Amino acid sequence: MGLGLAWLAFAAGMIAAAPSMLALPHIAPVIIALTHAWVLGVFVTVAVGAMYQLAPVVLGTTLWSERAGWWHYVQHLIGVPGMIYGFWHWDLKMIGLFGSLVGTGIAMFAVNVWRTVIRSGKRDAVAWSIALAAGWLTLTVLAGLLLVANRYWLFWPTDLLALLRAHAHLGLVGFFLTLLQGVTFQLVPMFMLGTVPDWRPVRAGLWLSQFGLLGLVPALAWHAGYLAAACTTLIIAGMIISAWALKQTLRTRKKRQLDPGVKGFLRGLGGLVGAAVVGLLLVWPTTPWSSAPGGFSAMVYIVILFVAGLLPVITGMMCKIVPFLTWMRAYGPKVGHTPTPPAGALANPRLERWALAIQGASAAPLLVGVWRLNTPLLCAGAWMLAAGVVLFLFDMFGILKHLWWPTSGAPVTLEKRSPS
Amino acid sequence: MSDTSPGTTAVWQALAAIPDPEFGVSIVDLGLIYSVERLADDVNVVMTLTTTTCPSGSWIYEGVRTALGKLPGVKNVRVDLVFDPPWNAEMLSTNARQQLGWDGASAQ
Repeated sequence: MGLGLAWLAFAAGMIAAAPSMLALPHIAPVIIALTHAWVLGVFVTVAVGAMYQLAPVVLGTTLWSERAGWWHYVQHLIGVPGMIYGFWHWDLKMIGLFGSLVGTGIAMFAVNVWRTVIRSGKRDAVAWSIALAAGWLTLTVLAGLLLVANRYWLFWPTDLLALLRAHAHLGLVGFFLTLLQGVTFQLVPMFMLGTVPDWRPVRAGLWLSQFGLLGLVPALAWHAGYLAAACTTLIIAGMIISAWALKQTLRTRKKRQLDPGVKGFLRGLGGLVGAAVVGLLLVWPTTPWSSAPGGFSAMVYIVILFVAGLLPVITGMMCKIVPFLTWMRAYGPKVGHTPTPPAGALANPRLERWALAIQGASAAPLLVGVWRLNTPLLCAGAWMLAAGVVLFLFDMFGILKHLWWPTSGAPVTLEKRSPS
Repeated sequence: MSDTSPGTTAVWQALAAIPDPEFGVSIVDLGLIYSVERLADDVNVVMTLTTTTCPSGSWIYEGVRTALGKLPGVKNVRVDLVFDPPWNAEMLSTNARQQLGWDGASAQ
């Protein structure tokens, strides 16, 4: 989580330092570097870290190998900055070298996750989503390495842009969406004191997206417009069914008020559906598959996907997970010995609300900015995003400080709750 | 929840001082304590968790053992963690429902 926060500060800082870079085509080396800083640096680091902590818990077992997890961490720590530096300076050898390091780390992660799932004996939608997500992430990194190798040796004369899109969607749909369509139904009931009333739509949503992805990747790689549109429609249908299942789950919650983190998470899920619809319009056979900046382009899709989708999903869930994991380490051993604060009291709800709101609001100027190639709007959006990230980091450090300076004496109380 | 023996007030008070880390509600109000029994120096508690995969379950369980072991006159503490019957919202106290935003209404 700490590494993910450092990457969040860096990635938001990259945009704030040079907002006009967002007016470049999405295949420009600096944009590829920026994209990997956000995806591999922030989103994957946080998601994988959370999986190491929570997957064994939701599967009711222990992690197969904690040592392998630490080896993965070291490889990720070294590999990702090297890759991003390589992208920035378009040094293919460097990308390949550090990318291989990231790849072996991800492969170790996948084996660790699979062995943990097998050990648990669980075969429900949550277990499947965890196992599938780990597999898709491994394939994504392998596809990325293949892309770089092909760029260097040119053994497969094909369109780089098409392969890049296939690689990106292996990760976006395969890892993030697959994970969300399963783990959400374990975490949301846990944090909201609810239950999943019917697992059938959860399974249906997950498998529809999987079938859609199986067709989407080759369709993107070989420019099969109608197949890509059909498969994207299948994925959107899967997302809608999962959203309906989540709505039914939320109706069972006993904790009535939605925390800022849960609200942000739900907003992010909505943003992901919006991004998928934009993606469908972009892969529509009559839409030109151009990499030119401006207008209704891939950059519009990327801004919605990242700033309105993945960012609130990840930061929203961090608002729940980080206090909980911190509580487990700082206060868990003290239960029964001394009064302990609830996990939610470690966070600052006002700071969380502002942080998530400003981050979310930054999507509008960034979106219009990349569409109209408007530099003042890009600057406004980039700085708003940075301001939201700074507030979020303050909140996170306020939580993490309990690891070193736990509260003693009378328990800290939660913010007064009101029914909503 | 049930109280099957005299002299359990201190035990219930000790248990009520332990909050669930996620909701900040006492584990007694949350309905996690199924029964308390006190026989001379021994305390027997039967408790549950809101879910079998509760991540903080082990800390709550150990916390119950620790808190009861500190009570004057208690030498042996036995805590049985059971999931039958499974926890459900009917087990929430009125106080817990208010804290969770139910405003005193039924949990169903």
